[in-house]
Amino acid sequence: MNLIMKNKVLSAVCAVLAVVGIVCWVMQLSQGLSLTGMSTANSWGLYIAMFMFFVGLSAGGLIVASSASVFHIKRFKAVALPAIVLSTVCICLAGMFVLIDLGGIQRIWRLFTGPNFASPLVWDICVITLYLVINILYLVNMRRGNDRVVTIISRFALPCAILVHSVTAWIFGLQMAKEGWYSAIMAPIFVASAMDSGLALLLCVLAVLKKARIFNTSGDLMASLAGLLCTCIAVDAFFIFCEVLTMAYPGAAGAETLALMTAGPTAPFFWFEIIGGLVIPFCVLVFAKNRERTGLVVGASVLVIAGVLCKRLWLLLTSFIVPNVQGAPGIMSDGSWTLMGSYAPTLPEVAIVLGVVSVGVLGFELLAGWALAPATEAASVKAKAPAAAADMEDAAPSLG
Amino acid sequence: MTKYGMAINKTRCIGCQTCAYACKMQNSVAKNVRWNRVLSEGCDVVDGAVGQYPNLSRTYLPLACQHCENPACMKVCPTGATYKDEMGRVEIDYEKCIGCRMCMAACPYNARSFNWEEPVHEPGFAYGDKDVPERTKGVAEKCTMCKERTDRGEEPRCVQCCPMGARVFGDLDDPNSEVSKVIATRHASQLLEEQGTHPQVYYFE
Repeated sequence: MNLIMKNKVLSAVCAVLAVVGIVCWVMQLSQGLSLTGMSTANSWGLYIAMFMFFVGLSAGGLIVASSASVFHIKRFKAVALPAIVLSTVCICLAGMFVLIDLGGIQRIWRLFTGPNFASPLVWDICVITLYLVINILYLVNMRRGNDRVVTIISRFALPCAILVHSVTAWIFGLQMAKEGWYSAIMAPIFVASAMDSGLALLLCVLAVLKKARIFNTSGDLMASLAGLLCTCIAVDAFFIFCEVLTMAYPGAAGAETLALMTAGPTAPFFWFEIIGGLVIPFCVLVFAKNRERTGLVVGASVLVIAGVLCKRLWLLLTSFIVPNVQGAPGIMSDGSWTLMGSYAPTLPEVAIVLGVVSVGVLGFELLAGWALAPATEAASVKAKAPAAAADMEDAAPSLG
Repeated sequence: MTKYGMAINKTRCIGCQTCAYACKMQNSVAKNVRWNRVLSEGCDVVDGAVGQYPNLSRTYLPLACQHCENPACMKVCPTGATYKDEMGRVEIDYEKCIGCRMCMAACPYNARSFNWEEPVHEPGFAYGDKDVPERTKGVAEKCTMCKERTDRGEEPRCVQCCPMGARVFGDLDDPNSEVSKVIATRHASQLLEEQGTHPQVYYFE
């Protein structure tokens, strides 16, 4: 089954965007990162936010797939294949964003000849590589139907998925210099927001695959995944509340950062995350009836994904607004000295991001086409049987 | 052991920016980059003032790399490009820098600059000490405590050029050095002490 040819319009649009992105990236390589909106005061921008975002999106797939084996949630097994494909593609995109953000990618071999193991970035590179390898092993073995091997791999996959998000959180959470990042709850928050955005993306993709008659997921399973999403949203909201309360209560330095978050330049992102990304989807999904309606589930999922994207942006950017020593970065622009830094992504920067996402869509089409093709015929019979049984079990009380 | 450090007399600083420009000339620092900055404390503008007219005050804070004993930038550098050398200075090996800017996120003092583009020199001739390595686009850079000069037994350029003699340079491990004596007798303090980075640059009044 060739998904690229099946969705000609989508594929063509993505291919064009990908080419534009690559052209912009080549421009960035020759001109330098001055092509972006970053400056000495705001030294990380959209690329790093997207890196965090895609590491998170990758979570849902692997966690759902591996918990099918680890926690014996048999029903989840039915969507394990598309879930793992999604997870693999997302982690590749996350890696691409880190590479694109590097100023000296031609010296990247230095990472292998002289790594500094005290650096959270080195931990992240190790763990993401491991995570990618596990994803690929998982995918290959699942497609071959090696159930025993899959069970063994999933035992490693689950902790590795948790670790990937924790290590990504530690890149930020261990930096004492940034008041808004330096927090022990950063890793749990990353795991929770990775779970909810990842699950939300999985639900959206499953709904699209179902609509396009490529891969059928039972309504029951969708509803049960939506229930899990609802729980994850609640956990994420709880962690964020803990963080905000701890920042606010002493009324000291943390309260200043909080004031920036809730009323500063990044406030729209903060409030969208809280209301659009947590409160509304939770209120929708908390009712079992709503979880059975695909439209509502997809709508809530899109909100969750957008909310987590906003979260990545405010988390990253808020900490760059006020330096510890007033005016310290001493930004120079066109010969005059301005002490305040600002950040807005430039057009090429946005084009590169869109290009990477487009490569991801094409990659998903390619990989899903390969992974799902024979499986839908041969394994659908196998997969249908337990799914149908589960359907019967669940349907029975409601029918009765 | 030698541990180079500096003490800056804030009362003597008149905000003339001579150190900032001397540093640029010595270290071939490009346009739009300053390793050494003279800040007006409490102000978002250069040469601003604090308070309300007519009760205004203005104090200056010369700021560059603090050459911390516990450097946050060194810990997070993935390739070990940032290192603490045998003279106690924090240095960068530009050949190893991959431009990830982790160090810039970690430094509490925003002391580092990044080469967002190929360095532009204005005026357009090669200035700077012959021993100072040129940087390319995509690497981080910052005050080296004039490594090339101090290796030759000279003072850093900012210390030499300060018209008010506000800067004292020397070995912090030698209790008889001028800098150690100044720190001991003038109640010198460190910037953002609560960050635990233990700067080797001190300020006194």
